[in-house]
Amino acid sequence: MTSPLYIVDGVRTPFCKMGTALAGADAVELGRTVAAAVLARTGIDAGQIDEVIFGCVGQPIDAANASRVIALRAGVPDHVPAITVHRNCASGFEALTQAAEKVAAGRGDIFLVGGTESMSRYPLLYNDSATRKYGQLAKAKSAGQKLAQLLRFRPGDFAPKVALQLGLSDPVCGCNMGQTAETLARDWRITRDQQDQFALQSHHRAAAAKQKLSEETWPVYPRGGRAPAAVTGDNGVRENQTMEALAKLRPVFEKRGGTVTAGNASQITDGAVALLVMSEAGLRRTGLTPLGRLVDYAYAGCEPARMGLGPVYAIARAEKRTGLGLKHAEIIEINEAFAAQVLACQAAAASGEFGRKNLGRDRPLGEIPNEILNVNGGGIALGHPVGATGARLVLTALRELNRRQARRALVSLCVGGGQGAALWLEAA
Amino acid sequence: MNITRSDSADGTCILTFDRQGSSANVFDRATLDELDAHLAALEKETGIRGVVLASAKPKIFIAGADLNAFKHADERNLADIVNLGHGVFSRLNRLPVPSVAAINGVCLGGGLEVALACDWRVASLDQSTKLGLPETQLGIIPAWGGSTRLPKLIGLPQALGLILTGKQLAAQPALKLGLIDDVTHPEYLLESARRLLARGKRAETARRLTSRMPVSALVAAKARRDVRAKTRGHYPAPLKAIEVCAAAVGAPVPEGLAREKAAFLELVRSPECRNLMNVFFLQERAKKIQLPAADAKPRSAVSMIRKVAVIGAGTMGAGIAQWTSARGLAVRLKDINPEALARGMHAIEKVYADAVKRRVFTLPEATAGLDRITPIHTDVSLTDVDLVIEAALEKLEIKQQVFRELERAVGPDTILATNTSALSIDAIASVLARPERLVGLHFFNPVHRMQLVEIVRGPRTSPAVLEGALQFVKAIGKLPVIAKDSPGFLVNRILLPYMVEAVWLFTEGVPAPEIDRLMLDFGMPMGPMRLGDEVGLDVAQHVAKDLERRLPNPVPINDTLEKMVAKGWLGKKSGRGFYLHPTKGSHTPPNPEAGFLQPEKSRPSNPASRLDRMVLIMINEAARVLEEGVVDSPEDVDFGMIMGTGWAPFRGGPLRYADTLGAAEIVRRLEVLVRDVAPHFAPCWRLREMAREQRGFYDADAATGPGRDQTIQLNLPAVEPRLDVDVPLVSGSGPLGQRVMPAATPPSRQAAGVK
Repeated sequence: MTSPLYIVDGVRTPFCKMGTALAGADAVELGRTVAAAVLARTGIDAGQIDEVIFGCVGQPIDAANASRVIALRAGVPDHVPAITVHRNCASGFEALTQAAEKVAAGRGDIFLVGGTESMSRYPLLYNDSATRKYGQLAKAKSAGQKLAQLLRFRPGDFAPKVALQLGLSDPVCGCNMGQTAETLARDWRITRDQQDQFALQSHHRAAAAKQKLSEETWPVYPRGGRAPAAVTGDNGVRENQTMEALAKLRPVFEKRGGTVTAGNASQITDGAVALLVMSEAGLRRTGLTPLGRLVDYAYAGCEPARMGLGPVYAIARAEKRTGLGLKHAEIIEINEAFAAQVLACQAAAASGEFGRKNLGRDRPLGEIPNEILNVNGGGIALGHPVGATGARLVLTALRELNRRQARRALVSLCVGGGQGAALWLEAA
Repeated sequence: MNITRSDSADGTCILTFDRQGSSANVFDRATLDELDAHLAALEKETGIRGVVLASAKPKIFIAGADLNAFKHADERNLADIVNLGHGVFSRLNRLPVPSVAAINGVCLGGGLEVALACDWRVASLDQSTKLGLPETQLGIIPAWGGSTRLPKLIGLPQALGLILTGKQLAAQPALKLGLIDDVTHPEYLLESARRLLARGKRAETARRLTSRMPVSALVAAKARRDVRAKTRGHYPAPLKAIEVCAAAVGAPVPEGLAREKAAFLELVRSPECRNLMNVFFLQERAKKIQLPAADAKPRSAVSMIRKVAVIGAGTMGAGIAQWTSARGLAVRLKDINPEALARGMHAIEKVYADAVKRRVFTLPEATAGLDRITPIHTDVSLTDVDLVIEAALEKLEIKQQVFRELERAVGPDTILATNTSALSIDAIASVLARPERLVGLHFFNPVHRMQLVEIVRGPRTSPAVLEGALQFVKAIGKLPVIAKDSPGFLVNRILLPYMVEAVWLFTEGVPAPEIDRLMLDFGMPMGPMRLGDEVGLDVAQHVAKDLERRLPNPVPINDTLEKMVAKGWLGKKSGRGFYLHPTKGSHTPPNPEAGFLQPEKSRPSNPASRLDRMVLIMINEAARVLEEGVVDSPEDVDFGMIMGTGWAPFRGGPLRYADTLGAAEIVRRLEVLVRDVAPHFAPCWRLREMAREQRGFYDADAATGPGRDQTIQLNLPAVEPRLDVDVPLVSGSGPLGQRVMPAATPPSRQAAGVK
């Protein structure tokens, strides 16, 4: 990339399991909290921001452009525009890479980006039949007409559609995300035990990194509660997780013979991340020092039913652009949508046959060493608030690079619908 | 020229109020005469089909009567003014063609009374539109037909609800009450007015049930009981208003007007009215306080304060953050402890939620206010902040440490302020490399109810910083009083000796409720014993000890408070003090175990001297405050005490009250107390001088004394007083920076920060 994008500062809310500590705050409130925190921490004049870009998959129904509401409520002046972006699980990446593209195109220097998701607040929806009947009811004029319309309702009309469930299903291949993970487990012969081991490692690593992770979090003070509350830490990490406990869980997506359980899949979680990013000119103007920079990135498409392999395709594509391969990475983050899916990525990357057939390479993509992969845990322990995760991976990786005084990080995730994303980061 | 006339082709005559050279429309004699002349002309014309009253001012319809006219008028003049108003408004009412008031902006007092004389009223949905009759808050009653026409229009109970409280209504609630006939956007006011004119003259409406005997008598009796209970008979105006309104509903208009006039003339002569009017003038004065030219704008321009940081999320820090955010400023609320921030944010949320419930704010406004506060628990850069207000623990070393760190974190022009209620500004500033940037900003609790802020000038505080602090206090709609850096500043300096003396009385064996009753009867919003419980006995003791240590003539304190604190009796916060404070219910009986602090047989203290001991000690201290130049003028003292402690407003404040007693009498009584009780009642130099020279605090030539010259002189620009502010009858009180319950009516318009 000719004009690099610098990440100056960032914070995230604690990641909390659906229906727990953050359930009282919607995606806008979560995003606003971190956006305001970043503005206060950096002391930047928010009027200098060229655009606010947040990723959000399930936008609150009362905030059709969540980013704009977040921006205004965080104190960004009216004249700064805002856009909400959606690339499913990569929405947090998309916010960042759109800023990079705008900088490259000369369309601004300073951007407030991030991702936010309140999976607690995914609504239940009326089904199409009920929606139609309500519409006709609203049009009815006389009492008789109204009564006639009311009498057309049937019990089935009141069965809601669950937005969360629909959001996690692929309308093209007809699978839900868990089923795509089961497919990968079969393809690559990944056992239940291997998956549980990986999940256990995620919890242990996250528990060990508690202090480090707290450096990237910012408390949320949820409103509307009866008593004062400060939400200060992630609540999905199970310090005392054991293999025995994991082994007891039943498969969720394929009751018979399935291997993917609630224990070896990412948690459904609320959370938000904000990053202040800018061009070199922006750095000069504000006098702020960066945490690191985005070197380059790639998105790639793949088979929707095997969306979990998206990272492999994206990493290969990024290598073509940058010449940077797995061997150049000092740390790697791959979002843990499912243990089976990350393990499948490792296997596919190491496979010569996969490289030839699917990536058009004569050599395998390379090794994804477990020692540098998700060193502070991942989505299985911390949770995966879909729209926010991408931005969290960037923040976690940059902070870890700085702690290790290392240079390069590769962050990647798989995307529902059959995509992958890979970003190369460098310490400042 | 105050009124312009324009006629439109359809026969509508529009009379537009537009007082020249002023931002407000008010009714004075000239305006009334002008209106009368227009009406006289209209009576003779034939082409006119209707009359519209309107205003050319953007946010004011008519703000009320010109109070200066009352201030200086003799009785003949006053009667003339009332008669003139009655005559003109009745003429308007009797016009052969229909009339309508098209109201946009403030419509209070005489403004609403002229609107009531019209056949119809329409008000705009603009936020500035407020309708009300605040006269009783000034010790008078609406006497240009308001007390007669309002109860006839909307019914007796509803009319009393407005007149007794001085409540100001927006257009929608006014429509619901039947006070107005239509609401619309300001842009469509004239269209609406024309539609109302098309209805013709208003027909006599049938009298409501509540306006007929015997219901009206019952309503009046109940209102009278409520008012007596709240005011302890200190405020004659509300009682008169009930009498006049109750009589008006069953009688022809002219009879009602005659009663209004008689009641008004009686009230306006009363000392209560004079004192309440003075409180109003003091508030107007405080809004316009400026630094003298020598001190003003030394820094090229005191840039607007936009970003504020508040350090400490306790009661005071949270209160200041709430108020400041409600006034549109961005606030960083810093506390190292996220749990403390959670408590602070929760308290702030509650204030906003209450404000939404009372329709002071809409939900989006309240959300926006909350959003302007960013809670911060780590060290962040404060270089972009214009003002930092420290509200940390009341310990010198802690505050010094906070400011040492702050000085490194802020920008070169950031103003540093401390919310200390007692510590020396200069002692805190001594740790700064640039001590001139520190100023005291002493808010009172609860911040969203207490309008007063003491701005404390340390000996090294720079004029620029003082100016910045003053601009800030004005910008957030608080009323400033500037005090010198001295023990207790103004309010606590005078209040503490009084509380200490009350504790002495208690120690001598006078029951706490008896002590409180004395002071409630005197007109304080809360007795000193209960005040101690509210403030926290530990806090009261701490401040009292501090004053005893630092003042040359302190009131000696006894060990009663110490013993109580040692037992863990801290007052309300611990559930036990002079009273019991159960967590549930509002019944707070005297603490039955407190008897051990009192002698078995109470010393035969002279009951008559008890009130003197508590009141005169304040007056003596207030005189010393002037003597030492803590503040500049007796107005500052009275204003500070009324706004900061709710000091009996109808008595005009401690020094105004002293003038009614006379210095000689005060000195005499203090000397009796010296003889009978204790030497600390010795009258101060200034009182003795005044007694000798037979002068009062407010006599012009009394304005000199030691220490006065070194302090800031206040420029008082010409005040154009209007009836657009509500004066607290009995305001909430909150000295020492602790929570104190507001006592009685009326709800302050300040509530939660709305402009």
